[in-house]
Amino acid sequence: MQSVWGPVRQEMFDLLQTHPDDVPAVVDQLTKLQDILGRVPPLLAENPLCDFNKLYLTITEGVLERLYAGKFKDPAFLSRLDVEFAARYFDALRAWAGPEASPLCPRVWSGLFQRIPGPDCRPLPAACAGVNAHINFDLPFALVTTFDHLGTDPIDDSDQHLDYLQINEIFAHSIPGLRRGYLDKWQLLIDTMNGSLDDWWQGEAVEYTRNVAWRNAQKLWGLRHDMSATDKERAHLDRVAADLGKLLLSPLGEFLQ
Amino acid sequence: MASEEGDDGPLVGRTDTLAGVQSDLRNVGPGGTAAVFVTGESGVGKSRLLRETARAMSAAGVAVLSGTCLDIGDASPLHPVLQALRQANSPAQQPTSADDPGALLDRVSRDLRELAGDRHLLLVLDDLQWADRSTRQLLLYLLAGLGGVRLSVLAAVRAEALHGAHPLRRVLAELRRLRSVKVVDLSPLDREQTLELVNAIAGGGIEPEDSDRVFKRSGGNPFVVEELARDLRDGRIELSDTLREIFLSRVDELPPKAHSVVHAVAAGVEPVEHVVLARVTKLGEDELIEAIHAAVAHRFVASSPEGYRLRHRLVAEVLEAEVLPAQAASLHRRYAEAMEAGGVVDHARLAHHWQKAGEPARALPSVVAAARSAEKLYGFTEAHRYWSLALDLTTDDVPERTELLAHAAESAHLCGEHQRALTRLAELAARPDAPGRCELHLRRARYLAAAGRSATAEVEYELALQAPDCTPRQRASAAAYLAELLVHLGRYGDAYDRASEALDQAAENGTTADLVRASAALGYSSAFREDPDAGLAVIRQAVEIAERSGHPDDLGVAYLHLAELLTGPLNKVEEGVLVARRGAERLASLGVGRSYQTRLLAIAGNGLFRVGQWAEADQVLEAAMRHRPSGADAVELLLARCRLWVGFGDVDAAVRDLDAVATLLAGGGARHVLPMLTLRSGLAMWQRQHAQARAAVQRGLTETRSDDLMLLGILAWHGLRAEAEALSDGEQVDPGALRRLKTVVERMVDGVGNAATPVRGVIDGYIDLCNAEISRIEQRHDPEPWVRAAAAWDRRSQPYPAAYSRLRRAEAVLTRRTTRRATAVVALREAYTMAIAMGARPFTAEIVATAQRFRVALADDADTVPLNPPSAVPDDELSILTQREREVLAAMAEGLTNREIGEKLFISERTVGVHVGHIFDKLQVRTRVQASRVFLTAA
Repeated sequence: MQSVWGPVRQEMFDLLQTHPDDVPAVVDQLTKLQDILGRVPPLLAENPLCDFNKLYLTITEGVLERLYAGKFKDPAFLSRLDVEFAARYFDALRAWAGPEASPLCPRVWSGLFQRIPGPDCRPLPAACAGVNAHINFDLPFALVTTFDHLGTDPIDDSDQHLDYLQINEIFAHSIPGLRRGYLDKWQLLIDTMNGSLDDWWQGEAVEYTRNVAWRNAQKLWGLRHDMSATDKERAHLDRVAADLGKLLLSPLGEFLQ
Repeated sequence: MASEEGDDGPLVGRTDTLAGVQSDLRNVGPGGTAAVFVTGESGVGKSRLLRETARAMSAAGVAVLSGTCLDIGDASPLHPVLQALRQANSPAQQPTSADDPGALLDRVSRDLRELAGDRHLLLVLDDLQWADRSTRQLLLYLLAGLGGVRLSVLAAVRAEALHGAHPLRRVLAELRRLRSVKVVDLSPLDREQTLELVNAIAGGGIEPEDSDRVFKRSGGNPFVVEELARDLRDGRIELSDTLREIFLSRVDELPPKAHSVVHAVAAGVEPVEHVVLARVTKLGEDELIEAIHAAVAHRFVASSPEGYRLRHRLVAEVLEAEVLPAQAASLHRRYAEAMEAGGVVDHARLAHHWQKAGEPARALPSVVAAARSAEKLYGFTEAHRYWSLALDLTTDDVPERTELLAHAAESAHLCGEHQRALTRLAELAARPDAPGRCELHLRRARYLAAAGRSATAEVEYELALQAPDCTPRQRASAAAYLAELLVHLGRYGDAYDRASEALDQAAENGTTADLVRASAALGYSSAFREDPDAGLAVIRQAVEIAERSGHPDDLGVAYLHLAELLTGPLNKVEEGVLVARRGAERLASLGVGRSYQTRLLAIAGNGLFRVGQWAEADQVLEAAMRHRPSGADAVELLLARCRLWVGFGDVDAAVRDLDAVATLLAGGGARHVLPMLTLRSGLAMWQRQHAQARAAVQRGLTETRSDDLMLLGILAWHGLRAEAEALSDGEQVDPGALRRLKTVVERMVDGVGNAATPVRGVIDGYIDLCNAEISRIEQRHDPEPWVRAAAAWDRRSQPYPAAYSRLRRAEAVLTRRTTRRATAVVALREAYTMAIAMGARPFTAEIVATAQRFRVALADDADTVPLNPPSAVPDDELSILTQREREVLAAMAEGLTNREIGEKLFISERTVGVHVGHIFDKLQVRTRVQASRVFLTAA
């Protein structure tokens, strides 16, 4: 069976054998992934997953920087969350073997992965589709697992909640810079006209969905001992996020660009 | 999953996996345990793999014990293991109660040991995704080697369960990093394997397009392949594509009575006993047997001595969706009635059936009973779920609800569901017959404090004190708790005032526990406010009060506080060690408080380590381990012991204990991660594995709170030392890491002024070490920072860092080739003497290497201090001895007495005695002459 990853198949397989267990290792893994993804034909570095991975790498580097600088109240929580969060992205990649052939790959990720060979879509909506999958679907579960492991629970205005909200700042920082990197000349013109408004909208969107993720995590927390209820909720979240992802990757999503 | 016993189809495409799993199970890690977790989708053949492996290992003389976890949502604690023990007819009875959670784990381990005898044990657990929390904890306890059972664990986990937020996800992610643990992902069969299986079942002559169709429809899932292949063989034309339709069409072909048997088994909790099935189906004996025969013949039901089960859970899941709700309810009612009629006391199962029968009122008594029996087994998580279930089953107007709420809140608190505990408490407060206001405030404060919300907890304690219904006893208790909280918050002034008040009140009206708590808070706050003697006096008094009460909890707490105060903030380590040991002995003489004894011995062991009496520390920790600790106590002891191994340079033992710690921490426990990382980095440095040492420190830096200067200090020192060591081995310094480490040092310098005085001394010591390492990295060869560091640690009476600083000082002076060689020689000799006295082997080796490099004689009579070169490969016969034991043996062979050996090796005469005992055991000799002969023959 021909792998979806084409010539980088072996490298991808080898890389995903590693399971990072701290934030420096996550950054390392994402960096290596960025290189490998940039060599997936036919779009090479233009493929939509590359766009997302780049954004995710930038954000995780931002998290690591703040961890080293002692900016978080509960770094143990944030580090675990970051590792747990990334693990879900790597899991999705590991499960991906092509449309129809990946029963264990969440639908929301499948939607993005199947666009890797094309048709080409714009970088920003592509990155957003990844952010959507990662935040709307992966994040609530990563939160529950992290809290469960640390033996605390998701309480509003706790140290952990405040640390969690700090990540919004990192998103806000990363997105405008990233956006500029994508722009063609004529788009630069449009951007200088309504760029700040657009960026604001972007930042809001992430903040909004991240808060939804926190609420969803609290909801899942109450259900976590009930496997069938958790499964149902998981399928529901996957469906909702997958629909949103489809929208982002449709021609309609281009208006973001 | 649990498919049938026997009557298996051929096993295709799993030969390599089967061999691999067996070899992994035999390949035990340093702790004598191994584990293989098999994951994969339903029907992929996990149970089959488990069964085949168990069969093969059993034939090879391994003791095999098998259990299955239940999917009834709320099973009783430790269910699969206890069930397995029962089925194996273990002579031991089911543990119904134990003194503490550790004692319970110990008892189960003992049963497992007895069952295994001198064989290796294989514990096979199917459907582990349904295991309750207690079972997971037991598993980690056993795998960490704490149960003293030489075992391998083989468990199956549904892949579907590992998505989402299943707790096993995290556990497996942590465990798979250990060499002794493997996670095997069982994939579906490929096209060729499917073809092979189809031909094996259908007997050949199958058209390629037929088997291709089977492959497409089944996705290579062996269970489905088998079913479809049988259709081909029997000439049945299968039109449907989904699993559901395939099975439903078959159910329809069953005779009516067999049909009801299948439905009944599907609704039951497997295995379903014959008597129960008879009651549920209401069939006469002959009819029933005939119906079962038909169900077995149609390959729906499998029969075993314990009862009936469906051939595969997939079938149950298909049927579940088909049964009408009313029909299901009626089946469950019949199960419940059958169980009650049969006098079955499995509350969990009974509760399950009554609930599914839609009879909440009848479910309630068994739910409450299940909650209570879970509490007896320390399964607070399970108990909490039962209490919550009980609440779901009652409405507001039920009078029992008040009591249920109180239980639900307390059990939530005990299993760490703080938010839930607070919500329940709020609901309780709204009841007309709620407890008094003071009581409610006190409980809320306790829950808040446990959740780490100190500020709100403080407010609640204040409210409790002001509540009009506050009795004098409650007031004493609230004041004592509040004082304790303030000490934790570092507000020593407030704590002092509050504790003084509390002590007065407790003396009048309080319990001994309140008195002890208040005294401890007063003692600590005085000590931190630079009046150590007054503080000490107060806590000594608390010990006396506890002695008079004789209650184990009071005694344990009081001794712990005194020992901690002495070894910690007051730095009177020797005295602290004495107190800790005396406390442990006192409790041991009463035969109680195992957990307190363990913790006291851990304090003693850590204290002895710091003052350099490592052989003594070793013994104390060994004694503590004999108490078979579990949970956080075990982690702390293992870390303490591992610190010793790292110091002694016993790599294997250190790796074993680190693996055990990692295993236990896979179940949770953030605050122990940092000490583990520090040890990992220290060990890697002795092994010259610089990359590992640096990675461990960098990870530690991302998980340390920026205000925890003590932990930051240790980490930063390890990090800088790792950079310096790498540099001295000719590797590059990592500029990013160095910059970050320097930032941490700056943060320490900025923050140290705000630290409490006793802590300040330690942090200053680490700052000195860090600065000295930085000068080493910058290759300044400056002895001054090392002189400062040595002086700082001399003041703290901690010979290890003090000797280390002397070595580096000497190295700097000797490298500079100044005229001050004499001072360097003195420093090096001092370091050498100190290192020898501690038994710090790798460190000693480094001193010797430095001495050789600069041609320094370490001792005037160097010959009298025989030191095995670290590279020497020990002879086979003596290799079972530790380095220390070999040294003792060598001295013994010279004809020295224990006292002489002790003097020569800088250890106490008693310690020599212990070593001699170990040597005799290991060499299987009875006299010193025999031992000497073994030594001389080997040498």
